[in-house]
Amino acid sequence: MLKEWLTRFRFLIVSKPPHEIDEELQFHLDKQTQANIATGMTPDEAKRQAVIAFGGIELARAQSYEQRPNFYLDTLIRDLRFAIRGFRRSPLFTFTIVATLMLGIGATTAVFSVVDRILFRPLPYAQADRLVSLGLVQSLATQEFMAGGFYYDWRERQQPFEMLSAEGAAPIECDLTEHNPRQLSCAKAEASLLSMLGVSPILGRNFLPEEDSPHGPKVALISYSLWHMRYNRDPKILKNLIEIDGNQVQVVGVLPRSFELPSLHEADVIFPLAFDEAAQRKLNPGMPVRAFARLKPGVNIDQARAQLVPLFQSTSLIIPPEIRKDFHLRVRSLRDRQMQDVRSVAWLLLGTVLAVLLIACANVASLLLARGAVRARELAVRSALGASRSRLARQAITESMLLSLIGAMAGYVLAKCLLLIFLAIAPASIPYLSQTQLDLRVICFTTLLSLLCGLVFGIVPALQKPNDDMLSARTFRSTSHAAIRQSLVIAQISASMVLLAGAVLLLRSFWNLRNQQIGIRTESTLTAGITLGPQKYGTNEQEFAFFQQLTTHLRYGPGVSLVAVTDSLPPAENHNRMRFSSIGHSGKPPSASANGGLITYRWVSPDYFRALDIPLLQGEGFNEKELSSNDHFVVIGKTLADRLFPGKSPLGELLLLDEGISAGVGDIVKKSSQSINSYKIVGVAADVKNGGLSGEDLPEYYRLRRDRAEDWNRSGVWGISTFIVIRTSVPPKMIAPWIHSQVAAIDPTLPVDIETMQQRVSKLADQPRFQTFLVGFFAASGLVLAVIGLYGVISFIVTQRTQEIGVRMALGASKSSIFSLVLRKSLRLIAWGITLGVLTSLAVARILSSLLFGISPRDPVTFVAVTLLLAFVALAATLIPARFATRVNPLEALRND
Amino acid sequence: MPPSTDLLQGTLDLLILRTVALAPMHGWGIAQRIQQVSQDALQIGQGSLYPALHRLEYKGWIQADWGASENNRKAKYYSLTKTGRKQLEAELQNWSRLSTAIALVLK
Repeated sequence: MLKEWLTRFRFLIVSKPPHEIDEELQFHLDKQTQANIATGMTPDEAKRQAVIAFGGIELARAQSYEQRPNFYLDTLIRDLRFAIRGFRRSPLFTFTIVATLMLGIGATTAVFSVVDRILFRPLPYAQADRLVSLGLVQSLATQEFMAGGFYYDWRERQQPFEMLSAEGAAPIECDLTEHNPRQLSCAKAEASLLSMLGVSPILGRNFLPEEDSPHGPKVALISYSLWHMRYNRDPKILKNLIEIDGNQVQVVGVLPRSFELPSLHEADVIFPLAFDEAAQRKLNPGMPVRAFARLKPGVNIDQARAQLVPLFQSTSLIIPPEIRKDFHLRVRSLRDRQMQDVRSVAWLLLGTVLAVLLIACANVASLLLARGAVRARELAVRSALGASRSRLARQAITESMLLSLIGAMAGYVLAKCLLLIFLAIAPASIPYLSQTQLDLRVICFTTLLSLLCGLVFGIVPALQKPNDDMLSARTFRSTSHAAIRQSLVIAQISASMVLLAGAVLLLRSFWNLRNQQIGIRTESTLTAGITLGPQKYGTNEQEFAFFQQLTTHLRYGPGVSLVAVTDSLPPAENHNRMRFSSIGHSGKPPSASANGGLITYRWVSPDYFRALDIPLLQGEGFNEKELSSNDHFVVIGKTLADRLFPGKSPLGELLLLDEGISAGVGDIVKKSSQSINSYKIVGVAADVKNGGLSGEDLPEYYRLRRDRAEDWNRSGVWGISTFIVIRTSVPPKMIAPWIHSQVAAIDPTLPVDIETMQQRVSKLADQPRFQTFLVGFFAASGLVLAVIGLYGVISFIVTQRTQEIGVRMALGASKSSIFSLVLRKSLRLIAWGITLGVLTSLAVARILSSLLFGISPRDPVTFVAVTLLLAFVALAATLIPARFATRVNPLEALRND
Repeated sequence: MPPSTDLLQGTLDLLILRTVALAPMHGWGIAQRIQQVSQDALQIGQGSLYPALHRLEYKGWIQADWGASENNRKAKYYSLTKTGRKQLEAELQNWSRLSTAIALVLK
């Protein structure tokens, strides 16, 4: 077998000279002639008989030639040359197809690559599809959590998991206190976490079980980036001690580059969780943790959830009965936990991309069909000259392949550019987008798809038995594909109708989002976020002293008119929340019921309202004197005032508020009544947006953060930042370095997050902007493609009917009647397409509703506008061929062909 | 001329291999020889002889050399190669198996 191939290959390299076969055949004929003469024929007759006996000399020669191993290659090259000649003859056709393919393949590939990272990204763990996140959720804590008081019990008694492990609730700030100190993020994890995830350190080892105990040695795992940036990837790191928050810590291992905590929290250093298990078991609820687990093989998430219900029920007995029904068990795949609500955006993009791909394919198909019809006569001629049907099909395949390849290459370039644009405008809130690369599988997929599309529709005309009539007929009568082409156009129009409707809805929703009243002033307002590490600023006094010193310095900055301090900023969603029912006031004591929904609150300094221009509707707000008072003061938002004190002035009333609410696990256990203080209401503020730009607003109140250490309590367990709001007349670019220098003067290790209020608000609109841009982009490309398709089909129909139009005109038809004849045809296609499109959009509008703000997914104005726009553009695309039809010269039309 | 028997698919290759196994031969000679040996029962259409020869040559079963014919003309002589010989053995076995089988059925 091998030898056979070698022989073939030898012949491929040194092919035999073409005259050999001629000589060989000639010799045969001469030999036969001689033989014939020997039987007594005349030389002429002998020659004639020899030729007759031989049969078709030409055929024998051609067939011998076809045996050559490089025959296929030759044919291919000839076909390619022929195809390129054909493309040059009709550059418009070629360009349209290549552009269509480029847009289709390019856009699809770029978006698939993005979506693939989000939806189908391989998680950096072994058999990640078996990993789940589990715990309790409630309205105050929407991410599943567990706590030491029941976590160990669950870990011991659970059935569905091979392994259950946990990381600390959230990383906290810590300081690398060696030379060149730096603030880091330190997380905690159980020793079993890495083995549960199936990850092993690239250097050193995981924690030992004895290291994960309250009095174990000080050991840590460090991230690859810390090892790389700080220690130059020095393997000796395992022998040295590093100093964190003043403690000598032994690094036992370096995590892989791709490693991430299942919670996706960023961590430079991971310490053992080191809980005292026996003590935690007795606590209620105990220290909060995030639990993750690996399912046993063959167990699915639903089964696991069902098996955990008894554990959940016994745990829920520790929850106060009033709010017990607000707590739920949640078990979901790790991927779902990590992706949160980005999924809906990803699916939306996937949908739009498929629609564009559909339009592009329909375009290629209808163009190829039209071309096939035009070339019907050429095919008939070639077939009459002896080309076999397979030969014609091969030629057609070569052409489609060539087009698809050119289109794929152009598409690849386009995809590269698009990806760069996507990454530039993508919001940081979509995880992993920055790591997106063009996916080769995706390119292969889209190219294959377009090849398939080109092949199917390229071969159809070639495979039809060329009709002998084609040779004699004076006109083309190729109407067989007209129906296919017209339904393709209808499909295109309806697909672009769906795209356009979606894009306009998103655009209007984005407009609503950006132009709503958010209730605060964003101009010339700078914000600086600072998070203090618990080691250096462990006490309330230290934290208070730091901010006291900093704000005093900042007050004297260039152009600074106001400085305020708050623990959170609107309109973002991350701030303290509590149950409405847990507020008490003079007429009603606080209760623990879960009814009444949630409210939100902030700790602010007196100037907060003026710095953000939040008007006070009643009362004066906080004043400087109250800062040093022994009493507590509060300003409440209008909604809360209306709800608590309907019809009367709340000024001077007392609110009974709980001091320490832990943001992570919420009010899982009843608080002792000692922590409740009464707050005097000194003002009513106008409402501001506080649920993100599109979220639901919660009633809100503001507590005064007095100049007393007790108000600077680090109450949250998830880590709390403090924001300084600065009103200044100096451009932010100039004042930002100055703020940095002021912070550095007090503590050079502290990172400061400086942004204008406008930037913070605009960042919240990043994701809507991203999806609006992408869908808008696709709608535009879809529309362009559909218009090209419509134009192609209508002008093809006009060309086909040139003669008929000539006859009509010769018989006295006016220009306008010809015009309407053509227009009627396209109007019918447009009407069908739009009707189908509207119906489809209405059907799929539900998918969009979660992404829309302030507009119904079936908004009639949008639908009417889109219909008109599409009808207008589509009509414009048919006007050119229609006008061409009216200019047909009857004489020429009849004489031609 | 007696009516020629249609050749079974693939048997032409076998006939050519068998014929050139005796001695190197040119195309005309091969056709004549098959005709003579089969007592004119098998007439090789020259139209299919030459494509077959070329195909076998490209497969490496026979090789072609230019030599002088009886009356000193340049002619292309085909001879069996080593692989060709092996192939011939295999085809002969195949053929005898096939013909026995057919004979059994027809009995």
